[in-house]
Amino acid sequence: MSLSQSFEALVPRLETPRLVLRAPRATDFDAYAAYLASERARFTGGPMDRNLAWRAFGHVVGHWVLRGYGVFVIEDKATGEALGTTGPFFPEGWPEPEIAWTLWQGEGRGIATEAALAARTWAYEALGWTSAISLILDGNTRSEALAIRLGCIRESSVTHAQFGPAGIWRHPAADTQGAGMEAYA
Amino acid sequence: MSAVTLSATPVLTTERLVLRAPVAADWPAFLAFTRDDRSRFVRAAEMDDEKAWRGFGHVIGHWVLRGYGMFTITAKGDDRALGMAGPWFPAAWPEPEIGWSIWHAGAEGKGYAFEAASAVRDWAREALGWTRFVSYIDRENARSEALARRLGCTPDAAAPTPGTDDVRAWRHPEGGAA
Repeated sequence: MSLSQSFEALVPRLETPRLVLRAPRATDFDAYAAYLASERARFTGGPMDRNLAWRAFGHVVGHWVLRGYGVFVIEDKATGEALGTTGPFFPEGWPEPEIAWTLWQGEGRGIATEAALAARTWAYEALGWTSAISLILDGNTRSEALAIRLGCIRESSVTHAQFGPAGIWRHPAADTQGAGMEAYA
Repeated sequence: MSAVTLSATPVLTTERLVLRAPVAADWPAFLAFTRDDRSRFVRAAEMDDEKAWRGFGHVIGHWVLRGYGMFTITAKGDDRALGMAGPWFPAAWPEPEIGWSIWHAGAEGKGYAFEAASAVRDWAREALGWTRFVSYIDRENARSEALARRLGCTPDAAAPTPGTDDVRAWRHPEGGAA
């Protein structure tokens, strides 16, 4: 078994009606780098060149080894395309563990909501998280709308040294998540 | 859930060292190195702990993305991380390189970097089939240049460097494993 295969076997695979959430792969990098090179990435540390994008993607993979969890790649069941990432994320310097999401492409179809909900459920059930935040940079109104759909409340503000002013959005606690999941199931 | 590790990576053994895949437990040693002035030749100019974390994540992720990467250098019988060495090829690198760094000042001056770099170079040639590759070394990093010379490398003025003129490409001898 190759290293990438063994890594993939260690990372869970989640399914939703339209999506598969799976381990990041080298073949996802071009889509990731294209997103990060675009103006759409201005709320997630971009735009950045391919060299920096590679290092960022390396960290996306390595985070799984460092923390035992990380962000999944969101794959469209119908086309097999990689659409973005979502999952539990806690790099050095974060105020607390968060549920992160980024859509590289495929906006406007509820993909991010479907994916982030599955990722949050996994963090609560498999990792035992009882609470979670999402950090959303000020001005990222689409992501804020998604946070509201997920039941989050803007709890406080923070200014990140590198990324600037952001809101800390608090997710519904693990034990209150049931109602949202019914709508989803 | 079970731990996520780089489970299919080789372990190289030399006379005094064990070279193994990086693990989460190596992070404090890596962080200490990035905070130390000794790392000035191999890190970003404006380094902080968050960048160090992401950098170490990339060190690990590189293995999955490329199928090879930096081995953590340990002394036989002691699993503490002393540094790293290995084949290295991030996107935007002009060509593959063999990289090395000794994180711990107490591990300097013992020839560990030479021993480790020799072993990972042999492995890159045998297991990966590498024949032509360089090491990028800061022009002011005299110790690393001395090591490159010991490894038989010579400066290659014609070789492009990754985004900065602060480093020179040192060409390794071509050919199969020694």
